[in-house]
Amino acid sequence: MSRMLICLVPVLSIIFSGFAVCGAEPKTKQADSKGLELFKTQIEPVLVKHCYECHSKQGKSVEGGLELDSPSGMMRGGDTGPMVKPHDLEKSSLIQMLRHEGDVSGMPPEEKLSDEVIAAFEEWIRLGSPDTRKETGPTLKEKRLEAAKQHWSFISPQSVKQPKVNLKDWPRDAMIDGFILSAIEKHGMKPVADANRLTLVRRVYFDLIGMPPSPEEVNAFITDKSPDALPKLIDQLLESPRFGERWGRHWLDVVRFAESSGMEFNFSYPHAWPYRNYVIDSLNQDKPYNVFLREQIAGDLIPAKAGDSPEQIEARRIAPSMLSFGPKRHNSSGTGFRMDIVDDQINTVSRATMALTVSCARCHDHKFDPIPTADYYALAGIFLSTEPLYGTIKQKYSNSPTDLLPIGSGAEALHIAAEEYEKKIQTAEKTLTAKKEELKKATEVQKLATTKKAKVERLVATTVVAIPGADGKSEVAAAKEAASQPSQADLDKINAELNKATALVSTLTGQIKPLETQIAELKKNRPARPQYAMSARDRKKPADTTIAIRGDFREKGDIVPRGFLSIVKLEGSPKIPANHSGRLELADWITDERNPLTARVMVNRIWHHLFGRGIVPSVDNFGLIGKEPSHPQLLDALALRCVKEGWSTKKMIRAMMLSRTYQLSSAPSAKNMKIDPNNRLLWRASPRRIEAEAIRDAVLTVSGQLNLDRPHASTVTPLGDTLVRGVATDKLQPPSNYRSVYLPVVRDYVPELFDLFDFPSPSLVSGKRAVTNVPSQALYLRNSKFITEQSKHAAKRLLASKQASDDAAKVELAMNWALARSASKAEREGALQLIQQVRKSGDAQNGETEVNAWAAWFQTLFMTAEFRFLVDVT
Amino acid sequence: MRNQISSMNMSRRQWLKTAAGGLGGLALSGLSSPTASGAGLLSPKAAQFAPKAKRVIFLFINGGPSQFESFDYKPELKTNGGKKGVNKGKLLAPLYDFAQHGESGMWVSDVFPHMAQQTDHLCMLNGMTGPSRAHPIAIPMLHTGEFQFVRPSFGSWVLYGLGTENQNLPGFFTIKPTRTFGGPANYGSAFLPSTFQATRLGWQGQPIKSASISNLKANHSLSSEAERSALELAQKMNQQLLSQTESARGVIDSLNLSEQMRDAVPEVTDLTRETKETLDMYGINGGPTDDFGRQCLLARRLSESGVRFVEISSDGWDHHSGLDKFKKKAETIDKPVAALLADLNQRGLLDETLVLWSGEFGRQPETQVLSGKETLGRDHNAAGYTAWLAGGGSRGGLTHGVTDDLGYKTVEGEVHLHDLHATMLHMLGLDHKKLVYRFGGRDFRLTNIHGNVIHEIVS
Repeated sequence: MSRMLICLVPVLSIIFSGFAVCGAEPKTKQADSKGLELFKTQIEPVLVKHCYECHSKQGKSVEGGLELDSPSGMMRGGDTGPMVKPHDLEKSSLIQMLRHEGDVSGMPPEEKLSDEVIAAFEEWIRLGSPDTRKETGPTLKEKRLEAAKQHWSFISPQSVKQPKVNLKDWPRDAMIDGFILSAIEKHGMKPVADANRLTLVRRVYFDLIGMPPSPEEVNAFITDKSPDALPKLIDQLLESPRFGERWGRHWLDVVRFAESSGMEFNFSYPHAWPYRNYVIDSLNQDKPYNVFLREQIAGDLIPAKAGDSPEQIEARRIAPSMLSFGPKRHNSSGTGFRMDIVDDQINTVSRATMALTVSCARCHDHKFDPIPTADYYALAGIFLSTEPLYGTIKQKYSNSPTDLLPIGSGAEALHIAAEEYEKKIQTAEKTLTAKKEELKKATEVQKLATTKKAKVERLVATTVVAIPGADGKSEVAAAKEAASQPSQADLDKINAELNKATALVSTLTGQIKPLETQIAELKKNRPARPQYAMSARDRKKPADTTIAIRGDFREKGDIVPRGFLSIVKLEGSPKIPANHSGRLELADWITDERNPLTARVMVNRIWHHLFGRGIVPSVDNFGLIGKEPSHPQLLDALALRCVKEGWSTKKMIRAMMLSRTYQLSSAPSAKNMKIDPNNRLLWRASPRRIEAEAIRDAVLTVSGQLNLDRPHASTVTPLGDTLVRGVATDKLQPPSNYRSVYLPVVRDYVPELFDLFDFPSPSLVSGKRAVTNVPSQALYLRNSKFITEQSKHAAKRLLASKQASDDAAKVELAMNWALARSASKAEREGALQLIQQVRKSGDAQNGETEVNAWAAWFQTLFMTAEFRFLVDVT
Repeated sequence: MRNQISSMNMSRRQWLKTAAGGLGGLALSGLSSPTASGAGLLSPKAAQFAPKAKRVIFLFINGGPSQFESFDYKPELKTNGGKKGVNKGKLLAPLYDFAQHGESGMWVSDVFPHMAQQTDHLCMLNGMTGPSRAHPIAIPMLHTGEFQFVRPSFGSWVLYGLGTENQNLPGFFTIKPTRTFGGPANYGSAFLPSTFQATRLGWQGQPIKSASISNLKANHSLSSEAERSALELAQKMNQQLLSQTESARGVIDSLNLSEQMRDAVPEVTDLTRETKETLDMYGINGGPTDDFGRQCLLARRLSESGVRFVEISSDGWDHHSGLDKFKKKAETIDKPVAALLADLNQRGLLDETLVLWSGEFGRQPETQVLSGKETLGRDHNAAGYTAWLAGGGSRGGLTHGVTDDLGYKTVEGEVHLHDLHATMLHMLGLDHKKLVYRFGGRDFRLTNIHGNVIHEIVS
């Protein structure tokens, strides 16, 4: 036996040196042989009989990632980590399982093993849990992990030669159209015809700025016969400030932007809005995407360079708000609170930038992707060393307020002045409280002295001087009596006391009055505070953290050095210095050109918005259970191109829109429908529904009510730090004519139109929105106050327009505004009939009737599918 | 069996296709001519196995109703009243007498005389346990099975799993929900399409009489003829789009359905259609039972019309003090709840309608000590409390689970909140382990990684 052990130990330690396995390390020779004997005779047979069925390679399954048919599998444990610690019964959760005790699954599940068997397992662990079996090669889990590492998204994008195509003249963008056409041709299809210019102009306007083109804009485009009409239009719209408002919103979905904490106590976040503006501005500036990401992860840590403007530096400090406005349970506190924030940060950062679901590894190794729990806690160390600055104030149910970032010119000085001023008020208030307390005491003393005085006075007035001998009193007794009687001296003393107290009362009263006035005055004249933003900063003492076993931070596992995902190893990527959180290094690692995921995820997100579906349809999951790319080589080519072109979002959008693929008609071809009914290969432009924001902005554009200014801050800002539930709905969502991106995003209380038209939950990372068609949407479009009012505004605008004199021209103009096209004969007749009908039912002399008539036509247009879908315009 | 809606952009036809292709575990059934299409997500779907219940009515008794004054008979506590408790207070003898009722001899306190007559329908769960004795955690847990993260509500999961029977009505209603402790997240759909969230009628604190559903009434002043013309015109234009996109079908259907819903909702919520006898039975007479009576009657009318999940709410059960007012509180729901059960039963609906009566937890057997002062009240208790089920495949007349003699903790027949969810899904013909939705790289379920079906309470 002992010889066997000798050879087993080195084998184990060679093969599995990565694991904390020293199970077979003997204490004494005697114990070894005893342990091995015990294993062979009592443990192994039980394992075979009761455990292998569900926990071995030969069995019917490997439940919980636990393989018990090899020494290494036994010691490594399942997805949640080791369950046997040699010599340590306390830390061997296997025993609890066998006993069906505590917070673990009882094993075997059907019935508990006998007490004798459990005792044998206990003894075996006490003896160091030696194992006589041979290794059976890598466990299934190891094999699976090995295979997972070969998953396409973990391998760097490869550049391949352009494929050959039959329709050589068809491609406009050689790269994009080449790959697309080649796949179409491979499936025996041909792309449909190009979209007409009416279709194209509407598509381009909605895609780039989220608003419909005006009739003038439509006209300008369709009459521009120059070959570069489209590039010109695209460039013009890319330069419009409306572009960032449109594309910024796409990003805000991904980073679950919101202006309240959500969860059971939903506190407002009055200072989240600067981030929203930061995102919009960054897109308008075409900030390189790698810089954009770097700023949001670690903008506060990026050293200022010569020539950086104060605005640039400030923007970089606002950017990490992304780490701070996530959903939070402000009523919780301590490590639990911090770990939940960290989980949200890991989830958001890894899914937004790399489409990896890292937070699945919080409680156990990732079930599908090669992301061990250790990686999660390597990242957790980075974020635990980071202090999110989300603000809030200490109040009931809100336990952990933080600082905020003062912003704007002279903000720091204003903030300091305001804080000092507050301190002044506080000091004055403290003094006031102290004085009041003193006054209370003095008044009490005064009251007591007054009572005492009255009593003593009465006594002095009625005192009969005791004479010794009289009444048989002894001299001593008389003297005693006299002494206990208050004398004039006593009275004087009391008087002095009283006077002193009275004087003090009067002095204090005299002081309190002006102090109160002063405080009231101070409060009235508070200096202007600057605006504030959320941000993040490194904690004073960055530190690594331990693995939380099964996600429970109270159960500490091994300490893990701060670091990144082990699946993406980049040569020479920066080490995290001991005194840094590691956020900047993380940002560098994510945005490293060699990171196989970041650029792919970015181009795929853009593709998704322009073509209605990502090349990888699961835009937020590039892991093993994500969807496979429909055009992997194109995805790689685009990722490489993106990096080469300096991570420019606008260039990428421009390139995709100038491809012929983007410019196709939506008309289906019967033949292609049979081969590829879902248009996976993009042989036509997929009809797409526009988002809630675009629907609302389009309605406001038609009605002429849209206010294109950027509102000051947010309507959440004046609410202050408060529980949202106590705020009336019309204050949470006040009427507004600003662009939709500027409407407040209060978790659980988003505007009704957003809620109905699939605005994503702002508590969740959402790169892809649902698209539903439900009756509640129809009811909104038919009956809501908003649609009714805007229809009337549109009618008034139409009636005031000089462009349309008669009814037919008015029908046409309304159509132009709403659908960017002319009315067909049938449509015109239908509209005229409707208008006549309303006119007849109302009082002809009443101006309202005319408004109602035309409003009915607008409301009809708002109800149409065409109004909210990007389809071929005919 | 993974049931993932691979593309949200689904028309009825696509839905049928995928369902027919057996992609989803929830294949369609009984769909001769569904009226819904874009609303295809809500089309009725067959359960995973033969269901006992078709729909749910959840009576949310908000605040943590005391089991000692309602359904957990504790003679020992009565005897020991006034003695020192385990915590800071003194054992507080139940304020009311209990008696056995019905064939089952179920114990019910005297303040629920009407419910006492329904005991043979009740499946009394005296051994409930929950994860937390704090409202802000327990309320989202009860509603979504989770509190740390935003997750779909129970009703949304049921709707996702089964669709709904009446396409003219929303499939999931919540009546007078609370705005606190998660508020709308308690009936939200989280990562499921928003189609699966509840339609809200009123808010907590608002008289149900004044509550309405948004956008049912027009804001414009068009005559109904003009309105119809507008609709027909829009639909004609939508028809033209059918050649380009199936989604146009979804829009067309949603407009038609809105027409039906506009008529159906006011009809189903119009209680004047009920006889005086029925109104009396529910206690709808302007008195203390009026509001909850209306909610119960609405629940019956909605369920009867095929609404899959209805939640109604009674609040003010957080008796840290003033437990002597428990009787008055009990009165507000006793008659209405009993009427609901009797009414469902007489209409033959109780067998297929699963009724849940539950707070977020229960209470302690001892008095509460609030800032050093003893009050006539009880603190929260999630280690042992009472909820009950009725109808819908639950075992009527059964008293399941026992707390210790004084009522601090469950000692036998534990039903954890996750178990309750799992078991209720089971009664609806859904395996809680298989009713999953893939989001963010993981298959999520109502019971997370927990929950066991408690077969003893299933009939």
